Amino acid sequence: MKRCLRDSIYRWGALLVLLVLGMLGTSTGAALAADADTLVLALNRDQDNMDPHMHFQRVGIIMNINMYDSLLHKNTKLEYEPSLAMTWKTLDDTTWEFTLRQGVKFHNGDSFSAEDVKFSFERVLDPATKSPQYGNIRAIKEVKIIDAHTVHLITDKPFPLLLERVVYFPIIPKKHFEKVGAQAFAESAPAGTGPYKFVEWKRDQYLKMERFEAHWRGPAAFKYLTIRVIPETSTQIAELKTGGVDIIRNLAPDLIPDLKAHANTYVSTAPILRTHYVELDMREPPFNKKEVRQAANYAIDRQAIVEKLMGGLGKIVPTIINPLAFGYDPKLEGYSYDPKKAKELLKQAGLANGADITIHAGVSEAFFRQIAEAIAEMLSEVGLRTNLKIWEPGPAWNKFFQSEGKATHGFYGTWGYYSTFDADAILHPLYHTEPGGWVGRWYTRVPGLDDLIDTGRSTLDKEKRMAAYTKVQSLIKDEAPSIFLFSQHDMLGVNKRVDYAARGDEWIWLYDAKLRK
Amino acid sequence: MTAVLLRRLLRLLVVCFGISLITFLLLHLSGDPVAMILPEATEADRATLRETLGLNRPLLVQYGSFIKRAVQGDFGQSFFHRSPALPLVLERIPTTLLLTVLALGFAVLIAVPAGILTAVRRYSWLDHLATVTVLLGQSMPVFWTGIMLMLLFAVSWKLLPASGWDSWQAMVLPALTLGTFQAPLFLRMSRSAMLEVLGLDYVRTARAKGLAEWSVITRHALKNAAIPIVTVIGLQFGVLLSGAVVTETVFAVPGTGRLIVRAIGQLDFPVVQAGVMTLSLLIVAVNFVVDMVYIYLNPQVRIS
Repeated sequence: MKRCLRDSIYRWGALLVLLVLGMLGTSTGAALAADADTLVLALNRDQDNMDPHMHFQRVGIIMNINMYDSLLHKNTKLEYEPSLAMTWKTLDDTTWEFTLRQGVKFHNGDSFSAEDVKFSFERVLDPATKSPQYGNIRAIKEVKIIDAHTVHLITDKPFPLLLERVVYFPIIPKKHFEKVGAQAFAESAPAGTGPYKFVEWKRDQYLKMERFEAHWRGPAAFKYLTIRVIPETSTQIAELKTGGVDIIRNLAPDLIPDLKAHANTYVSTAPILRTHYVELDMREPPFNKKEVRQAANYAIDRQAIVEKLMGGLGKIVPTIINPLAFGYDPKLEGYSYDPKKAKELLKQAGLANGADITIHAGVSEAFFRQIAEAIAEMLSEVGLRTNLKIWEPGPAWNKFFQSEGKATHGFYGTWGYYSTFDADAILHPLYHTEPGGWVGRWYTRVPGLDDLIDTGRSTLDKEKRMAAYTKVQSLIKDEAPSIFLFSQHDMLGVNKRVDYAARGDEWIWLYDAKLRK
Repeated sequence: MTAVLLRRLLRLLVVCFGISLITFLLLHLSGDPVAMILPEATEADRATLRETLGLNRPLLVQYGSFIKRAVQGDFGQSFFHRSPALPLVLERIPTTLLLTVLALGFAVLIAVPAGILTAVRRYSWLDHLATVTVLLGQSMPVFWTGIMLMLLFAVSWKLLPASGWDSWQAMVLPALTLGTFQAPLFLRMSRSAMLEVLGLDYVRTARAKGLAEWSVITRHALKNAAIPIVTVIGLQFGVLLSGAVVTETVFAVPGTGRLIVRAIGQLDFPVVQAGVMTLSLLIVAVNFVVDMVYIYLNPQVRIS
């Protein structure tokens, strides 16, 4: 009897084993073997929609730039080069003339013209569109068509950032958009003039694109481009090593040695605009006192953080201005690491026994968390006993805005300048107090700073701008509205079958990717 | 029987109402989504958007209109995806459901026969091996199991894809991971249920009658042992769905769990509400079915 049972169990067991082995056998090589025609990029999250004007996310920008062209482009040296505009010049302080490229086609076959440029800008400028990118170009008050291939962008006052802003401003086809409607354009029928055209989007899974053979630059090297959404870093690494994916971004520094040593992968890094800081609430004690803010700056051992937590892939910045941005003052020296001085300054501020503070961190990357923890520890060591609250970036900003910045005494964050290589791109959002401003309107109270920022952004004269930013930097160095930290590198993991180098603007411009010979 | 059915259905309605209220309140207490939608806009722009989205009305009014629309299947437009929330959730439900069912199938297929076998061969080397496996299986977090399986099957042996959901091969590792999470519990339950039943008089009678052991176990013992096993499997369906969130993240499976987690981060109220309600309904429905199966298997419940 028992034998009968045992036999039966063994029979079923053997069948199961055979089934599993059979499954595995037929799937050998199913690990998405690399296809010479297809380039696969992995991102940790998907874009919310395919409409290039209706988001403000880095992943969305990366997806969009490969499908849409803007008026200008930046090469790998980050110099302007023609894209949909062949030439550009200022006619006066507020009028910019762009001569458009002729013979350009959209992916749906429509011809590109000045109408499309006007339509794209006016769409974002229209408050009814509720575009999150409105703030980037709100200085433009009129888009005037001169002829089919010439447009004027007229700003309300001199706007030196205009060229930077039109490097990422996707131009969409007016007729096509009006025909399919916003919903379909955002989900199933996007069309641009970029090097890759839309094939299929499966939300949270992948975006598939195909080379646009008629692109004015000539066809891209890879025929197909797939952008896969893989949220987990360890999964991205596994896919990169097995050839399921060709490029991954936002590597944590501690993963770099592993990828450098692996036979199938290499690492490409480039210094980028992303700058780390701790913004301080200047309205409330203890950071309403300059000495306390300076003490916080002296408390941080930036070198140790860059070396130990960032694998050396960062650069200490004297203030908030990144060395890659226009306006950076290379002569200014930053705060040194001097805990003794920090304690003295706290004493001078009447805080000989220190103070209890709360800092929040909106952390999107694992190694940002380690940095936030190190900063909290260093502040605590000099007497600014820090209660660190780590939140997801979304809820973190939410809490910040809801409480008008009073939820905590400061926040640790990073700012990517929206890939705009200009001091204004960080000074205005972080420090300007105008009613429509961003975090600065709640936290920053530095007399004279608003005026200097306004001076810097309201003239096209580079010397005058530079002079304004030099003053800004020495002012904020002294007033310390933030704890100034460091900039970081873009860190890409690349499969060895592909040639691609990280860019300084955090773009992943896959037209440049080539198959290694 | 009808009374039991009606009672259960009524309870189901109360549970759904409770879930909707808790989800709504928790979400609205957690923040203002307008700050996320328009991070760099002026306060005036934000106020306009708040009005357009109806977020400036009293909470009770908002809840009332939410319920009114929800019963018609309208959870509103996602704040970020620019499309209705419910279809976003529904298009992902089959994926999550398939993952859960595959995992459940795997766990049941491995654990229940193993549980029976270890009960029949109590204190044998097989029983000891199973005990160790149960211990190990229950101590390993899902994400860790997932990463380990990925390293073995995808990176080292190159037998299966490391992630994705576009082929049956890609489904193996996620289902295995999630199944491994549940299998130990099923194994333990099957073993103890079987042991209990095997000691009963009617089993001894069946053996005394000279029935084959196979027949005693499958025809007589298993039916009674199945009662607690089915209950646990049903209850664990909800647990598996929550485990699916982690598995979906590790293996980049485009399921509902990932959608909801991301929507919570963005305070995308319509998507969170549609997602939580749909999953809750699903779990409640499965529990209802389990109740019915339980009634079928155990006539005592019917009588009482």
